[in-house]
Amino acid sequence: MPVFIGQDVTRIDALDKVLGRAAFAYDLKTDDMLFACVVRSEKPHALIKKIETARALSMEGVAAVLTHIDIPGENSFGAIKKDQQFLAKDRVRYVGEPIAVVVGVNEEVARKASGFVRIEYEELQVISDPFVSMTSPVLIHDEGNLLSHRKVIKGDIEKGFNESDVIVENTYRTTWVDHAYMETEAGLGYMDDDGRIVVVSSTQNIHYKMKEISRMLAMPPERVRVIQATTGGGFGGKLDVTVEGFLALCVYHLKRTVVMRFTREESFLAQTKRHPLHIEYKTGARKDGSINAVRVNITGDTGPYISYGETVCLRAAVHATGPYEVPNVHVDSRMFYTNNPVAGAMRGFGVPQLAFAHESQLDKIAGILNMDPLDIRIKNALRRGSLTATSQALEHSAGLPETLKRIEPFWRSRERQNDRRGFGLGCMYYGIGNTGVSNPSDCYLTFMPEGRIALHSGVCEIGQGSDTVLMQILCESLAMDDEKIVLLRGDTDTSRDAGSSSASRQTYISGMAVCDAAQKMKKYLEKEGYYSGRPLTDICEAALGKGDAMFEGHFDPPTTPVDMETSRGAPYATYAFATHMTEVEVNEVTGACRVVKVHAAHDVGRAVNVKNVRGQICGGIAMGIGLALMEEFSPGKSKSLDDYYMPTSMDMPEVEAIIVEDREPTGPYGAKGVGEPALIPQAASIVNAIKDATGVEARELPCHIERLKLLLEARRQK
Amino acid sequence: MKTISFILNGKKTVVEVRDSETLLYALRERLGITSVKEGCEIGECGTCTVLIDDEPHYSCMTLASKANGSDVKTVEFLGTADLLHPLQEAFINSGAVQCGYCTPGMLLSAYSLLLKNKDPDTDDIREAISGNLCRCTGYIQIVEAIKDAAGLCKHNS
Amino acid sequence: MLPDFASIIAETKEEALSCLSSLERAKVIAGGTDLMVKMRSGERYDHIIDITNIRELDGIAVKDGVVVIGPVATHARLGSDAAIRENAPGLALACSLVGSPQIRNMGTIGGNIVNASPAADSIPPMLIHDAMLTLESKGSSRKVRLEDIIVAPYKTSINTRELLGPVEITSLKGYREGYFRVAKRATWAISRLSVAWAISEEEGTFKDVKLAIGSCTPMPFRAVKVEGLLRGEKRQPGIIAEAVRIALEEIKLISGIRPSFAYKLPVLRGILENVLGGE
Repeated sequence: MPVFIGQDVTRIDALDKVLGRAAFAYDLKTDDMLFACVVRSEKPHALIKKIETARALSMEGVAAVLTHIDIPGENSFGAIKKDQQFLAKDRVRYVGEPIAVVVGVNEEVARKASGFVRIEYEELQVISDPFVSMTSPVLIHDEGNLLSHRKVIKGDIEKGFNESDVIVENTYRTTWVDHAYMETEAGLGYMDDDGRIVVVSSTQNIHYKMKEISRMLAMPPERVRVIQATTGGGFGGKLDVTVEGFLALCVYHLKRTVVMRFTREESFLAQTKRHPLHIEYKTGARKDGSINAVRVNITGDTGPYISYGETVCLRAAVHATGPYEVPNVHVDSRMFYTNNPVAGAMRGFGVPQLAFAHESQLDKIAGILNMDPLDIRIKNALRRGSLTATSQALEHSAGLPETLKRIEPFWRSRERQNDRRGFGLGCMYYGIGNTGVSNPSDCYLTFMPEGRIALHSGVCEIGQGSDTVLMQILCESLAMDDEKIVLLRGDTDTSRDAGSSSASRQTYISGMAVCDAAQKMKKYLEKEGYYSGRPLTDICEAALGKGDAMFEGHFDPPTTPVDMETSRGAPYATYAFATHMTEVEVNEVTGACRVVKVHAAHDVGRAVNVKNVRGQICGGIAMGIGLALMEEFSPGKSKSLDDYYMPTSMDMPEVEAIIVEDREPTGPYGAKGVGEPALIPQAASIVNAIKDATGVEARELPCHIERLKLLLEARRQK
Repeated sequence: MKTISFILNGKKTVVEVRDSETLLYALRERLGITSVKEGCEIGECGTCTVLIDDEPHYSCMTLASKANGSDVKTVEFLGTADLLHPLQEAFINSGAVQCGYCTPGMLLSAYSLLLKNKDPDTDDIREAISGNLCRCTGYIQIVEAIKDAAGLCKHNS
Repeated sequence: MLPDFASIIAETKEEALSCLSSLERAKVIAGGTDLMVKMRSGERYDHIIDITNIRELDGIAVKDGVVVIGPVATHARLGSDAAIRENAPGLALACSLVGSPQIRNMGTIGGNIVNASPAADSIPPMLIHDAMLTLESKGSSRKVRLEDIIVAPYKTSINTRELLGPVEITSLKGYREGYFRVAKRATWAISRLSVAWAISEEEGTFKDVKLAIGSCTPMPFRAVKVEGLLRGEKRQPGIIAEAVRIALEEIKLISGIRPSFAYKLPVLRGILENVLGGE
């Protein structure tokens, strides 16, 4: 029997994708479909006095203009809290907020007509800075401008600093980043023969969207079906409801097939972004390099709605110390509402921003103590038996020391090819799955009449390779070739809720759910003689005849909720760890920083698919380079990809991916996750390498050519 | 409206297009070639890349009427499920495909490179695909795939 | 989505000129890399005249030290053409740095001129080669220097009935020639700053210096004061420092003080020091 785990099994979606026949949502469009587009707020903060739709509606080819009054159920959605309106009723809080949907016979008609929907506003005072929001009498929501304040408290912070020999204090800033997936938000909706609403879209979660649609339309969830089309990237931006609500509403009213696609400009304007964070960071260490106290004050701009703001607030706090054992910790993490773009989930949920801060701090301390940056990391690294900042004891997989060890030979033998070069390290840890809450995944296996087994999976494949990985896990668990297995995926009608493809959770959590179902089926197959040679077709036929057709799998990682005051608890069942070593070359004349080489060592527990893991690492490095050196979304200015730069093939370094496998006993064959970890330490290691090359310390990201040159100039003048 | 006649993936094609429509639109909406993607419509992402006379062009900023009399290739030209082009095979085998949205355009840029340069080095490859953005892979495995395919093509010829 | 227009594919120059003379709200298109973006964001014309099929507007020829470039020659062509690489290596380099491979396959030298962007890569090298343009309209033709045609950012004095004809540049064989640009990523980015130069030296003395700077002023410009200062001077740090000072002063004089200069001027200083210092 072939082995599947740890093999370079070919991605099951790759063939269709190289042939160009993979069907992304907008590829499903046909001529008879209506096209819907959104009329959006042009004001950052205003009361809506009047929505004038008559003129648009009277235009030839316009099928409908829908507003909040057309929503039969609840006009609200939100992954964490239902605070966002599908279509604004009386008030808008950011530029781009949806107000109406115009449906026409084609895109041209719909877009043209949308220009004739007239909105009368009464402008309100705009808040565009979280520090203004903090104290402003202008309230974006009645409950106040503070969305969330989370704390992490451990030990005695005052005592910690008193007993420290070195104290370093700095402020770090990051800005908005766009997901910039190559495929913008798109989907289509239709009514099936039973009169149910069906939405096919580019998404990271189908069951969540089914529930939101059902609430909006006041229909039971079983009257709604959501199917995932081939999805051109997610990175957190397709977690929130994008086109799905509008499509469902159009179908509800028109009973016709309707298609939508956001333009790149629309995607930039209206969709969520990475949170800009302002991080005040104070670190105390003893002479031997051990970190004794960490005090962090995080202030975030969450925009006007929650989206995943609370999640980022807490996750940033919990990960604020970095992957180090720190006895005395005090973190305050606060998110304020503003009239800026909605900040939501993006690869790493605030942790990449914090990694930039804690890794810079650590190098600073190493410098003062005249310690090697690698040694100080080895000294403080979390390892088996360590207590995290939330006082969670790491009992199992904790491979940070191993990642450091694997980087060590490259670090110790590093040599500057010229004096413009420098080397930097970045470490990270990252809790797999959602923070301190239940986040289960369910799946099931059935026998198919043609004599094969079906895996019913609600996991969304967004390019990360989850379909292939789940199939590998199932094949291994059943000791069965993939030819005998059919994957039925991404359809609420044929699957259970697997949760979102986010938080690096699908391999770990849904992988375990698949293991669970497989174990049950395997017992059955054993009993039925499959492993002693009885043909599967026989077993299938008999099982279907008897009605023994379904084997359910479930996994919910063992976590505890964290304490509201101290965040004490076990918010994650397992953590991923990584160390990146980056070499850069800085052009002191222009301020351009070129990333030359990255060694990236990741403890993934177990690499189910080595090529996929490497793909995640390389992709994460690219996004980390963007975060560190070029990506900067300026509200009102960044309109499209011509003024928002992300890395091209020529911005990429040579990459050596090093896989460490400290197996996680609660994970499928020991696997954890890698999607977000791949990105998290990269920007930090670049900033440290720039310091090594030039002596300047970047405290604000992105450290693009202009910012870096100004730092170099300031150093020169000193 | 204009009637244009051109070679599309080796076949003579005649189609009526509006004066003001892009080649991207004509390919997707009139000829059903949905492998040509729309990612920005201003020539800043590369997902709409097609080959015109074997050179990569952005079809989002090419008027359809310009295709008249030329040779246009999309990824469908490269291979079929039964007979993949070495580039397609290498993309599959090297992990060069993640979400797949940039893949058709990326393959075409690579194909055009290999027509001109049988033995490209890493820098040649990076330059050749530098007009095709990819947000998933970090390009590393794409570059490896193209290098592998070049080797395979040379071996076969 | 583009606004509606009628498109005409002109097969001869005469056809293009006659369209331009008779049609209202007509615009010439070649590669389309600028115009298509502008039209998508709302710029409207009734007629679009495609000139890329016109043979006589394409091609590159050298005669008596003058290189004649057809306006529809693409950046890709200029970047790789042997005559351009030999007679104007800085221009070849600049063209090979424009946009991306696709943009270079589409965009043309004529388009780069008429678009008149302050950041156009091909313009500074053409300025040092004293580019001369021919503008034709039905029944007449005029010759104008490139630097006289650009009157403001994205604005030229070419009138709506005129068609840009061949671009003539003088060969600077024997000069040390180059082009350097700064952008926010490794490639496929607008130049934040660019410098084109051609220097001829003899035994450590500047015989002749030609210098053009892009992206600092409303139009890329020839730093003629600097050129005059250096001509005949020995290459040594003092005079180079003075030349750099004058260049920066001239930019400030043309543009006033801009916030971006906090970045651009120190960078320009470094580039000019390297270029003039022979690095």
